[in-house]
Amino acid sequence: MKIIVAIKQVPERDAQVRIDAAGKWIDESNLQYALNESDAYALEEALQLKEKSAAAGGEVVVVSVGPERVGQTIREALAKGADRAIHIVCDDLGLRDALGVARLLAAAVKPENPDLILTGLQSEDLGLGQTGVIVAELLGLPHATLILNVEKTETGLKVKRELEEGWFQTIELPTPAVLTIQSGGNKLRYATLMGIKRAKMKEVRQLTAASLGVDAPPVVVLEHVALPQKQKSTQILPGTAKEAAAALVEKLKFEVRVL
Amino acid sequence: MILFLPTFAEPQHFSFFEKLLFTGLVLASAYGFWRRFGLVLKKILKSKKDPSFHLFPIGKRVWDFVWEVLCQAKVIRERPLPGLAHAFVFWAFCAFALVTLNHCAVVFGIGFLSPAGTIGRLYYYFAAVFALFCAVGIAGLFVRRFLVRPKWLGARLSWESGFIALLIFVLMATYLASFFIADADPSARTLWWIHTLALLTFLPIIPYTKHLHLILSPATVFLSRGSFAQIPPLSGDEDFGLVAGTDLTRLVSLQAYSCVECGRCTEHCPAANTGKLLNPKEIILGVRAYLNDLGPSSDQPLLGKYNQQEAVFQCTTCGACEFQCPVGIEHVPILVGLRRGAVNTGAWEDQYGSKLFLALERGSNALGISPAERDKFIQKQQLPIFDGTQEYCLWLGCMGGYDPKGREIVAAFARVMNYLGTSYGVLRKEKCTGDPVRRLGNDLVFQQLAEANLEALAQNKVKKIVSICPHCVRTIQEDWKEYGTPPEIEHHSEFLARFADKLPRSTTTATNPESFVSGHDFSHAASAPNSPGALAPEVRSSPVPAPAASHPVPEKIVFHDPCYLGRYRNVYDQPREVASLAGELVEAPRHRERSFCCGAGGGLSFLGEETGERVSHVRAAELVATGATTVGTACPFCNSMFRDAFDAKGEGAPQLLDIAQLAARGLPPGEAS
Ligand code: SF4
Ligand code: SF4
Repeated sequence: MKIIVAIKQVPERDAQVRIDAAGKWIDESNLQYALNESDAYALEEALQLKEKSAAAGGEVVVVSVGPERVGQTIREALAKGADRAIHIVCDDLGLRDALGVARLLAAAVKPENPDLILTGLQSEDLGLGQTGVIVAELLGLPHATLILNVEKTETGLKVKRELEEGWFQTIELPTPAVLTIQSGGNKLRYATLMGIKRAKMKEVRQLTAASLGVDAPPVVVLEHVALPQKQKSTQILPGTAKEAAAALVEKLKFEVRVL
Repeated sequence: MILFLPTFAEPQHFSFFEKLLFTGLVLASAYGFWRRFGLVLKKILKSKKDPSFHLFPIGKRVWDFVWEVLCQAKVIRERPLPGLAHAFVFWAFCAFALVTLNHCAVVFGIGFLSPAGTIGRLYYYFAAVFALFCAVGIAGLFVRRFLVRPKWLGARLSWESGFIALLIFVLMATYLASFFIADADPSARTLWWIHTLALLTFLPIIPYTKHLHLILSPATVFLSRGSFAQIPPLSGDEDFGLVAGTDLTRLVSLQAYSCVECGRCTEHCPAANTGKLLNPKEIILGVRAYLNDLGPSSDQPLLGKYNQQEAVFQCTTCGACEFQCPVGIEHVPILVGLRRGAVNTGAWEDQYGSKLFLALERGSNALGISPAERDKFIQKQQLPIFDGTQEYCLWLGCMGGYDPKGREIVAAFARVMNYLGTSYGVLRKEKCTGDPVRRLGNDLVFQQLAEANLEALAQNKVKKIVSICPHCVRTIQEDWKEYGTPPEIEHHSEFLARFADKLPRSTTTATNPESFVSGHDFSHAASAPNSPGALAPEVRSSPVPAPAASHPVPEKIVFHDPCYLGRYRNVYDQPREVASLAGELVEAPRHRERSFCCGAGGGLSFLGEETGERVSHVRAAELVATGATTVGTACPFCNSMFRDAFDAKGEGAPQLLDIAQLAARGLPPGEAS
């Protein structure tokens, strides 16, 4: 089974994000980057699928869009066990909308003729949750979202979707297909020194929007980005303990609406 | 006066037949010896070269050799009686070198140490004194091994040891007996032959048994890695630690063949003492068995048949084994080497271990908490930010930055520094030093952390660091060297001791200590606490005096030596000096170099529940049994382990305070930072 995993490099979870001078994107200097979390789970799912059907052979190919720095994250994915990678080099990722990125991915993936395409449910930075679904649409493939678990069957796939409030849904679909993976379905593996050394010898093919022949202007234009306003206020509730408690319950119910 | 003493009898002439027989026996004995010893030597020499080994500076090597081998200091200090007995056997062997050479030379009429000459006579008496002590010593050791049988020697009776003891006894007895007969007496010849036969039987037995240490251990001690528990750098693209035989280095192989199976390492090992699989002696013997069966060119895994992965990951890297070993075996690099082999290749699968590694691959601290929490703490405590103008960079570490109790330690230490007027600041951003991943064998994450931190420190122009955590101190000072030059660093106990005379003594006395609420972020919450009956046998019987609330009692403080401050850094007096500012010190039965681990080291505080008894509970019980009202610690990890142990104990547990908190106690109120 040939599995493509589309991954994204996002600012590290601990990063202190600042807005850049133009107010259109974040200031990328001094930022540390890491692999998007749900993409890490997509990669893990792919690796486990490959390992389970080790006898049948298989290949896991990661694909990512972004500037040179994305190479680091691609190496890490190779270190964890992906076989090779496609890097679509582009320096204006911040300006591209989900459709634009999906077009790039679809164009790069199509000639690979994969059996399965996995990607994370959404990115930790923009959180659009669209890219995987649009890729499916562009390639004319069936898709399913919010996947916790993938099982290979005789005819195709059986997948477990996470619904609200602890509900799950199990569905079957044929291959090839596109699945967007929810975090937490598997246990992630840690990167190893041996993996990193071996990764150096694996193939990373570099493509560009031009070489893929995909260069349409974005349909969604980013106006500006802003940090959330910090709001903090303290109120002292007067009265006896009993009165104060009653007032507190009132406020929690009707002002904060958490009760 | 010596003329009145008996003279050593030596047969004067040997027949041609005797000469021939003697030559034949010597050749046979030497052949028997070489057949095995040559093989061992070949296995050692065929092992991989140690990439980081340097013979120089040689001064320390010579000193170790003189002190540990010639003076037998370690052998005696750690087990005085059997140690002394062993020392006499050793010294007698040295004294006998000349006697034995002469003993063989006389066969061919080329004796050089005539027992009748003045020098010869003196020398023979000199050797006789040692022979006497040696005979008594070896008899004593025989009794110990076969009648007393301490459990560290293992359940299996070693008959070869008994036989060797007998041979040594015969050697000494025949030597001594020769003083009571005349040269011409036929029994002189008989004694000579018995002595010779014992000698020639002894020689080939050496390399087949653990008595190989006789020949190897002087070299092992001399050729040690150079510093305590030193983890060697990996070399080249194919070195992932100790994976297979081809990864065993010459030092590892030499050490494996040097083990004398005395069991001192196991006797002091916190894991072996609390019912875990790990037994450091068996680890060494496992490597030896591997070498015997498969040799240093094999690509069979080292873990599996000969040593267990589970055991290797139970080590707290406390270093008690390495510290105790009389023949210079370095367990910590071997154990960490085996872990590296398992982790760097991904063979180790552990839920908690993976969680720790992933937390440090992506985040900044071992506790997996958002760094915003650290920022909040810095703000709340109003800790100054390091800007290059201050003298010290106060390194918080994961515990100091994120653990509630660790933060209290930092706050107390900051108060003291403010009081002393020291200029210091903390870094805006800090990553874990990599201590837990280093000891667990994850070189990839360790390198990332070390490099990122080294860069941040260089950018901030940090010259001097002070830290409340011995693990941070060790890792920054020693382990980071692989990737750069770390700034100078000291532990807060060293800092505080320097200013101890400027700090007020606290006049408060302890009242009935309240029990502490655990703020432990990664406590093994699911497990049931040990019952009081699970205390270490040697401390079980001591009752705990509960100080009455109404009668203030003088503060009695017991200080627990952290492994990474004591054995790893040789700092014992400074924390005691600081702790004594707040009361009277008492000592636990195992203290200073022999301190018993709290169970946290080697990354274990981040792993799952221990099998067997908890190391921390055993140690906590020992500390409680001293009757101290306060337990003084100097490591936030020890502190967190004992916190849990005392929580489990509930009522009547002593107070638990870091030395920084003890030092801050006497400060005038309002000296808040
Ligand atoms: S370092 Fe400590 S825990 Fe590890 S084997 Fe040695 S004595 Fe045991
Ligand atoms: S490793 Fe050292 S301390 Fe342990 S049994 Fe062998 S010689 Fe003794």
